[in-house]
Amino acid sequence: MKTTLEVKNLHAGIGATKILNGLDLVVNAGEVHAIMGPNGSGKSTLAQVIAGHADYEVLDGSVRFNGEDLLELEPEERAREGVFLGFQYPVEIPGVNNAYLLKAAVNAKRRHLGLDEIDAFEFLKLAREKMATLGMDPIFLNRGVNEGFSGGEKKRNEILQMAMLEPRLAILDETDSGLDIDALKTVAAGINELRDPTRAIVLVTHYQRLLDYVEPDFVHVLSAGKIVRSGDKSLALELEKNGYEWVKEAVNA
Amino acid sequence: MTSTVINQDLFTAAVEGLPPGQLSSHRSDAAKLFSVTGFPTARDEDWKYTRLDGAADLSNDWLASLAQHSTSTEASVMLTDAQLAPTQSINADWIIVHNGIVDAAALGQLKLPTGVNVSLIGEDSEHLALTTDSPMSAFNAALLTDGLRVRVANNVAVKKPLGFLMVDDDRSRVTQIRVVLELGDNAALRVVECALSSGVGPTFTNSVTQLQLAEGSKLDFLRLQNHALDHISTNRFVANIDKDATFTHNNFDFGGDLTRNDIVAIIEGAGASVNLAGLYLASGAQHIDNHTRVEHRVGPAVSHEEYRGILNGKSRCVFNGQAVVFEGADGTDANQANHNLLLSDQAEIDTKPELEIYADDVKCSHGATVGQLDETALFYLRSRGLDTTEARRLLTQAFAANILNLLAIDEAREYVKLQLDERVASLLGDERT
Ligand SMILES: Nc1ncnc2c1ncn2[C@@H]1O[C@H](COP(=O)(O)OP(=O)(O)OP(=O)(O)O)[C@@H](O)[C@H]1O
Ligand SMILES: [Mg+2]
Repeated sequence: MKTTLEVKNLHAGIGATKILNGLDLVVNAGEVHAIMGPNGSGKSTLAQVIAGHADYEVLDGSVRFNGEDLLELEPEERAREGVFLGFQYPVEIPGVNNAYLLKAAVNAKRRHLGLDEIDAFEFLKLAREKMATLGMDPIFLNRGVNEGFSGGEKKRNEILQMAMLEPRLAILDETDSGLDIDALKTVAAGINELRDPTRAIVLVTHYQRLLDYVEPDFVHVLSAGKIVRSGDKSLALELEKNGYEWVKEAVNA
Repeated sequence: MTSTVINQDLFTAAVEGLPPGQLSSHRSDAAKLFSVTGFPTARDEDWKYTRLDGAADLSNDWLASLAQHSTSTEASVMLTDAQLAPTQSINADWIIVHNGIVDAAALGQLKLPTGVNVSLIGEDSEHLALTTDSPMSAFNAALLTDGLRVRVANNVAVKKPLGFLMVDDDRSRVTQIRVVLELGDNAALRVVECALSSGVGPTFTNSVTQLQLAEGSKLDFLRLQNHALDHISTNRFVANIDKDATFTHNNFDFGGDLTRNDIVAIIEGAGASVNLAGLYLASGAQHIDNHTRVEHRVGPAVSHEEYRGILNGKSRCVFNGQAVVFEGADGTDANQANHNLLLSDQAEIDTKPELEIYADDVKCSHGATVGQLDETALFYLRSRGLDTTEARRLLTQAFAANILNLLAIDEAREYVKLQLDERVASLLGDERT
């Protein structure tokens, strides 16, 4: 099986604060992994380091993507190679048109792959199709990026970007939080749509709810910057029942 | 040694040597005023950050040539296609002023709507008061040979914008431009002014625009300054606004070596409304200074003002926004904002709102910010595959869009946007200077 993401002994922090402390994670193509863990344990930090946020300093270890050293690449190069991060807090960018960004993102990737740019007509057709399946009004194309979007609308917009970009590795950081029940179902359907043997998906979540709709192959618990436990989908159910304390205790014991 | 002193003998000789006519008495009155003040210097609070040494040097050379009658007063060279570009892009009735000289032949050909009268100041200034409310406007009046006077009759709403193309490309000349606009009761006019120069060497333009808005009239005035990087200009706009009249001034400064704008809106009638919006983009060693002053002499009346600046390289910009609410001007609603994007740590902005309030029942607010591009937004865009250059460009354009969106003249929107996008791209390229 092809390994998409390989994180080895990753230590990372911000300023003097160490956040990740020797994290290991392997995600193969075709797999869906869920990462759970208490607030502040480092889940978003892991996601941001993989996407290339410059504020986080990698102190030790490695991150490989399809065998390539990911840490060597600029964030935009990672994106074009097929890494997608669905932000826990999607950024509002007033004055930058949502459709413009979407199209620029698609074309950046296409150019990288040596393909022609998508024409305006094709683009609109594709975007409208994807939006329909996500239950998004096409009017959102004309708005500023996430400008004034509700929490749920922002998350859908992230999924729309993912759907348009068809990444090789999608890391969705709490894309399920802030969604109403119906939105959760449509977003889950959007994720399942992308599930295929060539693609790896990492779901960062606090809730079993999402995992009812997108069944993970593996579930990991991240605590204090490390994966402290891994299992199959039943681990998530156990966590839902018993909280994180027993995992932490088991580690400390 | 550099100095802002104008040689008095040369000045007097130059004024006296200009061809006699209707402007003669205006000139000698103004010359008396100017002789007392001379150019503003760093000692003047209003000119603390903006030095006119370069303008004074050019002026002294020019005055010397005028005194010897060695300066041609004819616009000699044809305008290039590049210089004429605005007239091709913006659908307006264009009047061309080349090196301070109105293209009278072309003006004669122009079919203006009924109720609109355009004349040459030199032939139509007998009963006209030329504003000499500042040293630079007095200097302008003292040396004036040509200019435009536009009158719109009562109740005439002019559909097509009027365009002024001001091109300065004669190195031996300092140009004094004066435009007088008089709007009758309930008249409406839109004006697009494009000011260009060609980088032939240092040049200096001193312009004055007098705007008279009678009761219920409406004026939208767009000025786009895209001078070459060796051009100095001082520009004064004075608007007197009567009852229920609406004045909108959209001011875009993209070019120039040194640019100083004084925009004065005087509210003289209740129900008036003033909208000032401006955008200045500076890089390299550019210097752009905007001084605005809104006088609420009576109330109720409204004024909105928003200026934005984008600075890179070692550029320096000044924003000074005065709002004065006179005693008894109750019901005044005045707000003002100035936001700046500082893209280089060597660029400098001095921003200062000044509120003077002498009335009781007023609503006034002001705010100024100086910031950098939002790193979180930059990362978000890059995480979608956009390179840093494009991400920065998008965020910078978005910052500028707030002012572009306030542009009142739709016919000019596309052209201004194109110029803006081009200027943003060149400004960002200057980053590491
Ligand atoms: N930019 C930052 N500056 C300072 N501290 C930070 C920064 N980013 C993260 N941290 C700290 O690192 C720790 C891990 O944060 P992170 O956002 O990765 O947690 P998380 O597991 O995603 O939490 P949550 O479940 O609440 O989203 C926290 O203690 C957080 O305060
Ligand atoms: Mg998080």
